Amino acid sequence: MLVLENISKAFGPVQALNNISLAIAPGCVQGILGENGAGKTTLMNILFGLIRPDRGQIRLNGQVVAVRSPRVAQKIGIGMVHQHFKLAPALSVTENLALAVGRNFGLLHRAVFRQRITALANRLHWAVNPDSLVGDLNVGQQQRVEIIKALLGGGKILILDEPTAVLTPQEVDELIPAVRSLAEAGITVIFISHKLSEVTRLCDRIAVLRRGEMVFAGPTGELSSGEIAQRMLGTQSAVPTLGASSAAPGPIRLLLSRVCCPVPGRHGVKPLLDNIDLSVRAGEIVGIAGVEGNGQTSLMDAILGSLPIRSGVIMLNGRDLRHEAHFRRARQFACIPEDRQGQGLVLSLSLTANLMLRSYRNPEFSRFGLRRVQAWRAQAAELIRSFDIRCAGVDVPIQALSGGNQQKALIARELCGHPPVILAVNPTRGLDIGATAFVLQQLAAARRRGGAILLIHSDLDELLSLSDRVMVMYAGQLFPTHWPAVDRAVIGRMMMGVAPQAA
Amino acid sequence: MNISGESLGTFLARQTVQAATPLVMAGLGELVAELTGVINIGIEGLMLMGCIAGYAAAGISGSGQMGLAAAILTAMGTAAIFAGVTIWAAADQIVAGAAVNILAVGASGLAWFFYQTTRQAAHQSVSLGPQVGFQSVALPWLSRVPFFGPVLFDQYMLFYAAVILALLVWLLVHHTRTGAILRALGDAPEACQAAGISVRTWRTAAVLFAGACAGAAGAYLSIMRTHAFASDMTGGQGFVVLSLVIFGRWTIPGLVAGCLLFGGINSLQQTLQTTRYTSHSTFMHALQHIPFEFFQMLPYVVALLALATLSRSSPGPRYLGQAWKQ
Repeated sequence: MLVLENISKAFGPVQALNNISLAIAPGCVQGILGENGAGKTTLMNILFGLIRPDRGQIRLNGQVVAVRSPRVAQKIGIGMVHQHFKLAPALSVTENLALAVGRNFGLLHRAVFRQRITALANRLHWAVNPDSLVGDLNVGQQQRVEIIKALLGGGKILILDEPTAVLTPQEVDELIPAVRSLAEAGITVIFISHKLSEVTRLCDRIAVLRRGEMVFAGPTGELSSGEIAQRMLGTQSAVPTLGASSAAPGPIRLLLSRVCCPVPGRHGVKPLLDNIDLSVRAGEIVGIAGVEGNGQTSLMDAILGSLPIRSGVIMLNGRDLRHEAHFRRARQFACIPEDRQGQGLVLSLSLTANLMLRSYRNPEFSRFGLRRVQAWRAQAAELIRSFDIRCAGVDVPIQALSGGNQQKALIARELCGHPPVILAVNPTRGLDIGATAFVLQQLAAARRRGGAILLIHSDLDELLSLSDRVMVMYAGQLFPTHWPAVDRAVIGRMMMGVAPQAA
Repeated sequence: MNISGESLGTFLARQTVQAATPLVMAGLGELVAELTGVINIGIEGLMLMGCIAGYAAAGISGSGQMGLAAAILTAMGTAAIFAGVTIWAAADQIVAGAAVNILAVGASGLAWFFYQTTRQAAHQSVSLGPQVGFQSVALPWLSRVPFFGPVLFDQYMLFYAAVILALLVWLLVHHTRTGAILRALGDAPEACQAAGISVRTWRTAAVLFAGACAGAAGAYLSIMRTHAFASDMTGGQGFVVLSLVIFGRWTIPGLVAGCLLFGGINSLQQTLQTTRYTSHSTFMHALQHIPFEFFQMLPYVVALLALATLSRSSPGPRYLGQAWKQ
């Protein structure tokens, strides 16, 4: 039995945790829900010894334990899987585990480690090859290696910090039975998430945090999903109210016809893009559903021009884009890329500079090649206000903003000039409910203004709620659907490659 | 051509091994440092510090062993400065390494000047006595095997040390937990941090090891191979080591193969330089009109070509050259 008693922690003036008490039984899957910044991670860092609480104590099987460091936590059987994995990709699974839990500096006892890994993996019904390089494994498999690492030292309590944030929907579906099998093996799992559906599917008990306060703790079935969302968000509404789509879409803005891309490298068998036909009209959102890795990234790259196409036509407002230079071509699209920190933002620049990346050349914002500082600040202040970006000022580095506010800044920059064509990939990934609703509302508003939006999204529910037309991408091919006339399950089956023609 | 009764083939092979020995020695250290994520382009300077310290200490003490010890300690001391600047103060490794090279040219020249003047003032010889340097050691039985005997088993002690070191480093890197840590330091330092391994301390140890190896290689050049010191006598061999580590794709067998290739071409060009005057063949005679600098250039041309053609698909440690900030 793990008991947290009256835990409080303040960071400066901010009360991150206020008098939190929680009892977790062995073999129980305990969900911890809350928006970003609600205190979930702070609470877990206290349990794992990374942060010391101001007040309160932790009891393990009746005894008070002082978790001063992660090492102490590991010693008393608490393991943590961080959102960003701590694995060396150039090393094998065995070597990574030896690195983390081994103690000796002599010869590596590969056989012993192999046996321990296999024994543990078998108990959890996982297939893990101890000799494969970690870099060759997919994200889901790497996460399993992390879990094994946390348990190999004899861990009895496992903290999973937003484990699904880095996974594709398919991998989430695989993780959930795996976590159940951990619980059946007698391991206590603490599952941190801000995704309601996952927590209600998986957890025996849930605790809901809001602004450092525990607002609910009890068995999962006690509250309905709506009630849980209500408590997480307080007065905010959980379901975004999206404007109705315009009755009659306008002319075709973006057109792809018979676009093919060659096979990458030597190893691939399937083409990246196989005979893609696609059109997006003004005032409509075309949603592309599909399991990640079926060509969505290539589609985006082909439209923007960073991936050369072998045959086919790509047209924007009736103009053929094929012979335009990449930089000139990419400028004509508003783009919310999947990798917002790598492609969308320049992390070393300030919030203002990031907001101006698209429009800095306008005469309004530059004179004789020099920037007009006052105009920049005014524009940044205006965007911060209208897009509700929470920040300490216009000059803060973009890195200082939370993930949700970084995404708001990116969207503010891309949507502020009312662009005619918008490309968005997973625009709400990793965002909490409030920020997700905001992003979806902004996309709906852009549609009302007559924007043509191509939305590639791995969250099927959000995609279906927003899109006027839905297509499914599978193995580099794009299949039209009759949404909303067909059932959600039909689209789900098409995503798995089952009978796409029938839908 | 015969030199002391050896066939040309044996002579060339022996020269190759002797030229490759200091490269392997210094290369093993640099390889370990680069695996942990530290690229030390000051390896040339460290070797030069080893050359002068080894030579001066051997001359003063009259003992080759003392010279070797002094070379190792001096190069480690210089490497410690590099480690402090790059690992603990997070300065750029390339810039700091270049500074080490420049520092070493000046420091070794100054030391050489003081060594000469003090020796001359005391009316002592500047050059090493005949017995001060190391002599080659012929292993019983093995040295009498045809070809392999003179090439592999009648060499300086430091050659045997380099062979043993190469085996030990290979064992360490691939078959111990320490080796897993070393490789992880350059690949995912955050994973080491999470496992309670101090990234900076381990990297410092690796850089000091690289310093010791470079110092020994320097001593080999001045005390054993040439019995002399000349300013800038390393002549770019440290930079060759850097490229050979890349050439060998950060593997020990690859590094050794690269060193032998480079040493082979080097001994070939040296032999060509001398035989063109002594040989009677018209081809060799024609080569007399080529300036000797052309021959000296050849090994480096081959090294460049080999790097350009062979090392395309070797990315190296992910964090190579990046400081670790906690």
